[in-house]
Amino acid sequence: MNKLENWKLPVFITFILLGVLITVQFRTQQTYLRDLSQQSTDDLLQLMSRNNEEKTKLEQELIVLNEKLRTVSSDVSTGENLTKELQQDILEQKTAIGLIPVKGPGITITIDANSPIMYLDIIDIINELWNAQAEAIAINEHRVTSWTKIHWSGENNMAITVNGKKITFPCVITAIGDPNKLEEGLRLMGGVLDDLAIYNIYPVIEKEENLEVPGAEIPNIRYMKPKVKS
Amino acid sequence: MWVPFLGLLIGLLIGTVLNIPIPGVLAKYLSIAVLAALDSAFGGIKSIFEEKFNATILLTGFFANTLMAALLAYLGDQLGVDLYLAAVIAFGVRLFQNLAIIRRELLDKMVEKRQLKRRKGDNSE
Repeated sequence: MNKLENWKLPVFITFILLGVLITVQFRTQQTYLRDLSQQSTDDLLQLMSRNNEEKTKLEQELIVLNEKLRTVSSDVSTGENLTKELQQDILEQKTAIGLIPVKGPGITITIDANSPIMYLDIIDIINELWNAQAEAIAINEHRVTSWTKIHWSGENNMAITVNGKKITFPCVITAIGDPNKLEEGLRLMGGVLDDLAIYNIYPVIEKEENLEVPGAEIPNIRYMKPKVKS
Repeated sequence: MWVPFLGLLIGLLIGTVLNIPIPGVLAKYLSIAVLAALDSAFGGIKSIFEEKFNATILLTGFFANTLMAALLAYLGDQLGVDLYLAAVIAFGVRLFQNLAIIRRELLDKMVEKRQLKRRKGDNSE
């Protein structure tokens, strides 16, 4: 060994190269073995059948999930329908209690400023209109609802107020309903108009095809609670 | 004696870090090249023990053997002759011979050292 002092470097280099070669070959062989073309036919067949099984399973799952999707989307559409129905309901309720401006055929009753009319006469007219199946009534621009108060005010009690607001003349009472029925209701023998005629009040009644009645303000709901049977 | 091991370790590390990709088709030829390289490397070690070491022969042998082995295997494939097997057998047999010689030499050395120590111990007493 002493004679060959220069053996270390060549051997070192050789072994470095050997190491590199070995790792590269090891890596390559690992990837090569994992390659499908290197698998045995039996293994490949097994792999294929396993994959097929998985595929069938996944297809079944897909069918189930599609079914679910359909149910969910139909649920959503029924939900939408429900919402629409509820909104429709709310709109109808609001219309019924007079919170929403409405329009339709009806009559107008115009009372001029010279008429010595009292608030009781107005109430009579309104009552008669309700009686004749009016669906919406307004005095000037004040919607008449279940919580409307018609009263008097002023020095000689000649000023009429609706919900505390003075009525200006000429006073126009608008009622939506069957125009003929409404007019007949007012013109009944011994009815409202006959009563008013005694005091020389002659309101002008006109039938109209397209009337508009404004909506009322939302009433107080502080103490009352719906009584719902559970 | 640590030089070959250190070289091998460094080589393995370099190979791991570089991660040279080789197409799967060439794996066969690379494997025979590795066998040739192993043979050359152990041949080199053996020659050290036999005190016939020659750096030129080792290095040229290393490169020539690896390249020739791979080329012959490739040629064999092209000609339909399994020269690959011939190379495996040739290099494999020599590899085992070399390893056997190295083992024997190592054992001899250990025995020699032990005897030397024993003699020294006898002398001191």
